[in-house]
Amino acid sequence: MLTALGGSLIIAFVAGGLTLGLRSLGGLLTPPRTTAPERVPFLGGLGPETHAWSRFHVRYYAMALLFLAFDMEMVFMYPWAVVFLREGMKAMVEMLMFIVILTLGILYAWRERALRWA
Amino acid sequence: MGLGQRPGILKRLAAMAPVRVFAISGSESAEIETLLQDPELEQEIVLTDSPRSANVLLAMGEFPGSMQESARRIHDQLSRPRRTLWLRQNVSAPSEAIFPKAIREDTHCDLALLLRKIHRDLLTGVEPSEEPILPDEEPALWRGVGPYGQGGTGMTGGVPYGRPMAETAPDRDGLALDQLSVRVGPFFRPFPSGLTLALKLQGDVIQEAAVAENPFDAQKSNPYFESGDSFIRALSEPVPVVEMEMARARHHLHWLCNALQVHGLGALGLRTRAIARSLRPGVVAPIAQLRRILRYSRSVSLVGAGVGVIQPDKIRDRGLGPVARAAGLREDLRMTDPAYQELGFEPVVHAENDVRSRLWQRLDEAMQSVTLAARSGNATSGGGGRVEGPRGVITLDGNSLPLLLGLLPDLLYGLEWGDAVATVVSLDLDLRDVRSQRVS
Repeated sequence: MLTALGGSLIIAFVAGGLTLGLRSLGGLLTPPRTTAPERVPFLGGLGPETHAWSRFHVRYYAMALLFLAFDMEMVFMYPWAVVFLREGMKAMVEMLMFIVILTLGILYAWRERALRWA
Repeated sequence: MGLGQRPGILKRLAAMAPVRVFAISGSESAEIETLLQDPELEQEIVLTDSPRSANVLLAMGEFPGSMQESARRIHDQLSRPRRTLWLRQNVSAPSEAIFPKAIREDTHCDLALLLRKIHRDLLTGVEPSEEPILPDEEPALWRGVGPYGQGGTGMTGGVPYGRPMAETAPDRDGLALDQLSVRVGPFFRPFPSGLTLALKLQGDVIQEAAVAENPFDAQKSNPYFESGDSFIRALSEPVPVVEMEMARARHHLHWLCNALQVHGLGALGLRTRAIARSLRPGVVAPIAQLRRILRYSRSVSLVGAGVGVIQPDKIRDRGLGPVARAAGLREDLRMTDPAYQELGFEPVVHAENDVRSRLWQRLDEAMQSVTLAARSGNATSGGGGRVEGPRGVITLDGNSLPLLLGLLPDLLYGLEWGDAVATVVSLDLDLRDVRSQRVS
């Protein structure tokens, strides 16, 4: 008779064993150690001059902010969905008005090129 | 693997896969590159964009001194197991040990069969993989200030692999952000062979571009004069108009094939190449159908619109052929040629002057050339020392290739990387074309 603890331990050992086995298999299948020129990234034949570690402008942050705003719109829709069937058309119209107001905001942002990051 | 010992099932299956080939070309390779247009190769061979995805390196022609180190580096960047096939017009010419273990063949080989055999022998273990050519040395050790290499200034502490960190520079918004210095080339697949761009990138936007010296400029011999090129012969003797126009149409279609592959439309590119192979004078329908497909393709209609615009004043009267005509300049030597005047020739001109416009320009010129070829009969043209080639005016002296290369820094400034590649491809550059185009 297998207890919950016994079942968990079996799963843990099988998962751990599988992981170690796959890692070892990867090590067996790996090609021989590569040389420094083999590891150089392909740039058409020349080597890199600087490190690729660099910071660049995250221009799509405006999209992330808009996503957050509309995510909050979705949060308002969850409790509405619970009472929607009971309230009927009145709830439908109210939510539509809410969505239309927010859509106008999106259209304004689109026109003002807030969605362009290139 | 010993004699009579059959390779395992996995190796045999691997050997049946399409051969993944990375191709690089140097000078004296024009004739060799025509071998790549063999339709049988399309079934057997996959030409990759990166050596990492390939097992066979196909080197074509001769490599000037400045490109040899890059060629060796490309060899080492191929995935193991790897093998090199070096096609040269003169197999026994001294090679300066660029590829010590390469299989050397001349241009009369059956390329598909040879590549298939090399691939099979490599993957079944009959032939060993080639060892790296360059020495296993890091550019510099990761050293800091301490006795164990630790410490030092900056984010990393020390100088990782001898390479400095990215410098900072103002970007479009005035922020001081990191700027990567990158040199791309000379064997970058979308670019013409030999073209090296020194770029400063912020993200994928080019803030500065410089063109390195043309490695083929120092070549003593000009192989194009030895070739049977119709336009070169037309410099000194009359050549049938039908021959020149069909060569012009094929040139434009081969350019289009390459351009479509760069834009990710590989199947359309192969279709274009098939059309070029079966081109007949007067048979415009396949090109017209291709034009309709491209016209309705959203990929093509969006790519290159408003990108790579050249000021017409900078290229006026420079004999730049399709590039000038795509900018609205009505320049074509054929307008003053009596043979073409009798045919009622009028140059095709587009006004948008961007990457897309140059694509339509060459496609329309290909259609026009096929039509002219059918109507030309026995007409001949040439022998006057100047001829309108597919890339522009050709003469025996002068060279406007430096003009186009000189335009690149301003043209690429501010472009995203994809747009920059499309712009370079749209100019139809060939750095080996040391035969000339006239600079007026």
